[in-house]
Amino acid sequence: MIDAALISSGTQVILSASSDENYPPEHVIDGKAETFWISTGMFPQEFILRFADTLKITLVTIHSYNVKNLKMEKSTSSDATEFEGIAEKEFEHTEGHLQANDFSLSGTTATHLRFIITSGYDHFVSVHKVTVEGIR
Amino acid sequence: MVKLRARCILVGDASVGKSALSQMFRSDGAHFQKNYSMTAGVELVVKSVQIPETSDSVELFIFDSAGKETFAEACEKLWGQPSVLCLVFDVSSDVSFRSCSLWLERVRAHCQGLQVPGVLVGNKSDLSSRREVETVVAQEWAQSQGLEYHETSAKEMENCEAPFLSLAQAFYALYQDRLQTIQTLA
Ligand SMILES: Nc1nc2c(ncn2[C@@H]2O[C@H](COP(=O)(O)OP(=O)(O)O)[C@@H](O)[C@H]2O)c(=O)[nH]1
Ligand SMILES: [Mg+2]
Repeated sequence: MIDAALISSGTQVILSASSDENYPPEHVIDGKAETFWISTGMFPQEFILRFADTLKITLVTIHSYNVKNLKMEKSTSSDATEFEGIAEKEFEHTEGHLQANDFSLSGTTATHLRFIITSGYDHFVSVHKVTVEGIR
Repeated sequence: MVKLRARCILVGDASVGKSALSQMFRSDGAHFQKNYSMTAGVELVVKSVQIPETSDSVELFIFDSAGKETFAEACEKLWGQPSVLCLVFDVSSDVSFRSCSLWLERVRAHCQGLQVPGVLVGNKSDLSSRREVETVVAQEWAQSQGLEYHETSAKEMENCEAPFLSLAQAFYALYQDRLQTIQTLA
């Protein structure tokens, strides 16, 4: 098992809908919960992770704040096209601490994961850390 | 550099000047549509507002509806999760002013506890001889509801930018506040 979401594993963030240059989406995959990406208004919001290789994913964990509905999609193509939905969840509201949510994925293969936040508990939501457990 | 985006909903009785106001804002006061025309469907005005003394901006997505759809339809189609609220009445119509509390109630019910910065706009300030709503009365009510009050004349191109600038600033302040909260969590 590896944490395949880390920048040090060759993962990249190739798209995000929001912009505050002090809080870039790369903060989601630097392995630290202290750094984060924050949305800058309106929904939906999304970002896409591109892995260095095709992965068999077993578990995705997301640390976030004020996210309400999140959809996860995957692509198995090399150019981030043809996404298909694989999970959807309504997160519980937390106050004063981060939300932590697991998605068990039983070894689904993917080259990209797309995270779409369709609603929030506030105008602005943050994602602090995404970890992806899988096998190359 | 921060670029925020805010969904602005424009509500109030029919013919108070909502469309005129958003069009004036869009065109920087370049034209005023004299002939009455009920907005067909939904119009979206998008304009970026610079926050003074920063390099930051707020892009306002102003949704203007014809007011023909039912309230439930308006909620679904245009309101989504509103960021800011622009509540408009006509200073020459007491009826339109009294409707404001109902509009506000509906918006708040729709927002389910979400804090939505808002302004109250008394439009048609040029119609001074026909004025039915005094400035102080509107101002007091606005204050009691946590709204900032502005008077405008879309016809005379008076003050039309002010309500939108104030909404952008309020949303920007909210962002700074939330950012601070989130920084303390991690
Ligand atoms: N005198 C005056 N008339 C206005 C003003 N703003 C709008 N109107 C007129 O009021 C009518 C209704 O305006 P409109 O923007 O369509 O109202 P809406 O239904 O709230 O969108 C039109 O005939 C406008 O020309 C204003 O500031 N002063
Ligand atoms: Mg209109």
